[in-house]
Amino acid sequence: MNKLFLKLVMLPSGLWHGMGADIDQLRAILTVRLKMDDRKPLSFGRQQAQKKERKAGSFFSVFISAVMGCLYLIPLAAFKDNVFAFWAYYTTFTFILTFMLITDFSNVLFDPRDKFTLLHRPVNDSTLLLSRLLHVFIYLLRIVLPMCLPGWILVGIIMGWQYALLFPVPLLLMIFMVLFIVNGFYLLLLRFASPQRFKEIINTFQIGFSVIIFAMSYFMPRVMQSSVLQHMDLHTFGWVRYFPSYWLAACYSWLSPVSILAGTRMLSLLAIVVPLACLWITIKYLSPQFAVRIGAVDAFESGEGNVQAKTGKKSNFYLKLARIFSRSDAGQAGFMMAWLQTSRSRTFKMRVYPTFAYVPVYFVYLLTLNKEPLRDMWQNLHERNTFIVLLYMSAFVMAQAINFVTTSDQYKAAWIYYASPVEKPGKIMDGAFKALWAKYFIPYFSIISIFVLSVWGAGKILDIALAMTNVTLFIAIIIRFSYKAFPFSRMEQINSSGTKILKAFITLIIPGMLGIGHYFAIHIWWLKLLFLVLSAILLWLVWDSYSNTSWEDLKKEEI
Amino acid sequence: MEPIITIKHLGKQYAGKTVLNDINLDIYPGQVIGYIGPNGAGKSTTVKILTGIIQDFYGEVTVAGKDLRKDVIEIKKMIGYVPELAELYDLLTPREYLTFVGKLYHLPDNIIEERSRRMLDSFGLLANLDQRMDSFSKGMKQKILLTSGLLHNPSIVIFDEPLSGLDVNAVIMVKELLQVMKQEGKTIVYCSHVMDVVEKVSDKIVLINQGQIVANATIGELKKDETDTLEQIFSRLTSSGDQMQKADDFASAINDKTISE
Repeated sequence: MNKLFLKLVMLPSGLWHGMGADIDQLRAILTVRLKMDDRKPLSFGRQQAQKKERKAGSFFSVFISAVMGCLYLIPLAAFKDNVFAFWAYYTTFTFILTFMLITDFSNVLFDPRDKFTLLHRPVNDSTLLLSRLLHVFIYLLRIVLPMCLPGWILVGIIMGWQYALLFPVPLLLMIFMVLFIVNGFYLLLLRFASPQRFKEIINTFQIGFSVIIFAMSYFMPRVMQSSVLQHMDLHTFGWVRYFPSYWLAACYSWLSPVSILAGTRMLSLLAIVVPLACLWITIKYLSPQFAVRIGAVDAFESGEGNVQAKTGKKSNFYLKLARIFSRSDAGQAGFMMAWLQTSRSRTFKMRVYPTFAYVPVYFVYLLTLNKEPLRDMWQNLHERNTFIVLLYMSAFVMAQAINFVTTSDQYKAAWIYYASPVEKPGKIMDGAFKALWAKYFIPYFSIISIFVLSVWGAGKILDIALAMTNVTLFIAIIIRFSYKAFPFSRMEQINSSGTKILKAFITLIIPGMLGIGHYFAIHIWWLKLLFLVLSAILLWLVWDSYSNTSWEDLKKEEI
Repeated sequence: MEPIITIKHLGKQYAGKTVLNDINLDIYPGQVIGYIGPNGAGKSTTVKILTGIIQDFYGEVTVAGKDLRKDVIEIKKMIGYVPELAELYDLLTPREYLTFVGKLYHLPDNIIEERSRRMLDSFGLLANLDQRMDSFSKGMKQKILLTSGLLHNPSIVIFDEPLSGLDVNAVIMVKELLQVMKQEGKTIVYCSHVMDVVEKVSDKIVLINQGQIVANATIGELKKDETDTLEQIFSRLTSSGDQMQKADDFASAINDKTISE
């Protein structure tokens, strides 16, 4: 598959050459990068999985992407006007791609390894930048192709083979557009901001953007259902012509002319011109000094470089907490490792911090489902039992944190765990989990609890206690069965979206079930008390099993 | 005297390829063993087995009378390991990293603090105690690794290229340190490609080639005459041809390429 993608991206070799890239070097760099992606080990000392397993995993990822692609069909069905439907389809895709590009692929674009492998070699800036951009382009292609399959099939059936034949063309142009606009923005920023400031801006931007995308994914379908939007047509909403996704839709509709806005034929030319122009501008004007600036940015993962860490009483706070939460030295070591690394790893912060905002966004979404005015909703809030949902949704914060606590760019540094006299690896893992619990869950749950107590009254104390135990139990079950690994000891696999989605599915089901049990017992205090005791006993059992994870258990997990 | 490390018929395979084949070795307390060999000879694999990182191997390994398979934790407590590549969690500061490592070895907090300060002071890194290591040079990271490997005062120390990236002053200091540790009776396994250092510091040379021990003797026993060096011995025992000739061939290859271009 890689060979096919490589051939595809090297098709316009003449164009790349015209932009100043050395074609032989470009092909060589891309070949090596794609090979390295395939051969990434999974964790310290862990060999790459068997080829068959990898293939099965890839098929599963393709399947999950295709299922997700079905969701994007909603806009295609929501609008009567074809051009408008495709506009909405491409807009949804553009947002998703931008989101992925910003969250997952920034590290590829600013890969610090080039510093040692390429920067001292006679490779010019255009080649270097283009190799990174095309590498990300191939990543996106791998994800977009299965995602657009349902749309492709639907279009083929409904609109005929001519449409099906040209279906990938606007999508490819869209990938180019997203890729070069986002990266052009990054490079512009690199020109005007210091490397340090750049990392901070990107990190904040990534977190903020994730929240916006999340909010939009919930509120957009409702907007789509509104009668105004359903009867939207191009003549009443002429402003859509200024959206790049509309240019793509208009361009695609050239196949069989339909009623499109006056002048959009010219605008739709932009669908082809803009990606090329973006590419040209990026390579010609932004790539000079690219190598120098990338060198200065250094590891995207790393923190503030030569920063003096806080000393004195405050810096020992985590050590005091470590002693409170873990009696064993190994537990304290795990606690401090997780506490410190999670504060400093940009990747971790970027992946986990947006979840803090997801919970209130989702809660507001649920509250506004029945479309009553905001003031009425707020006044009637205390009469409903929606606080249960809010309390259980706090599980997402912990679920996201544990999802990333075992992975790191510096997974090779995990040799220290294996060379140290650690009797039970579970103790270190136990300490790491407690650090996350103390650092993220407790403060977050406390804020939610204060909100619940202030709206629903002090009578909800027992519910809060039960929810807290249940959520901790749920997380303990997840880590017991899915996360038997040392903190920051595994390399993250970019192509593991299938597994991630499966875990996300479990993340929804288990707290949902625990929450439903709680909901049915909401008016029976003794039943809640009984559930609380049962939940605490179960938690203790699961916890004991996790913290006693042996080297043999760990080995089985790694095979 | 009983050997502190006994290796009998040690073997290891990776995906069907034999990396170590019937290694037999006795190392006595207080000895400095120069463990040398060409690239890919099996040095690192032996070291990873001794340190308990690799646990699936053939044969028997005992350390201080303890079976490596049965008492790996007790053995790890005795061993200090300084790996070849400076892989550490460099988002942490030296103080934080050393505290973390100290905890893994069950050292009390005050001991960790005291030793860390004094050891880093000797390396001239005391001022960097609270700086994140991501801005450190390779040499600075190597000093942190050396400190972390010796923090728990191990009786057996395994060094894998310990001088990598160190400046001249630090190299002198580490060489001196080796002598002091030897006088204290510590057993040292020293892996390196820098032959003159190995020659100077080692009591005994163990030379491994293609997964097998090809020499196990003192430097005096290995020398043919007074002018013979360890480098020459190494070359004689591990190379299939004349190195001078190979260098000539290599240079010719470059020139040919240049001419053809």
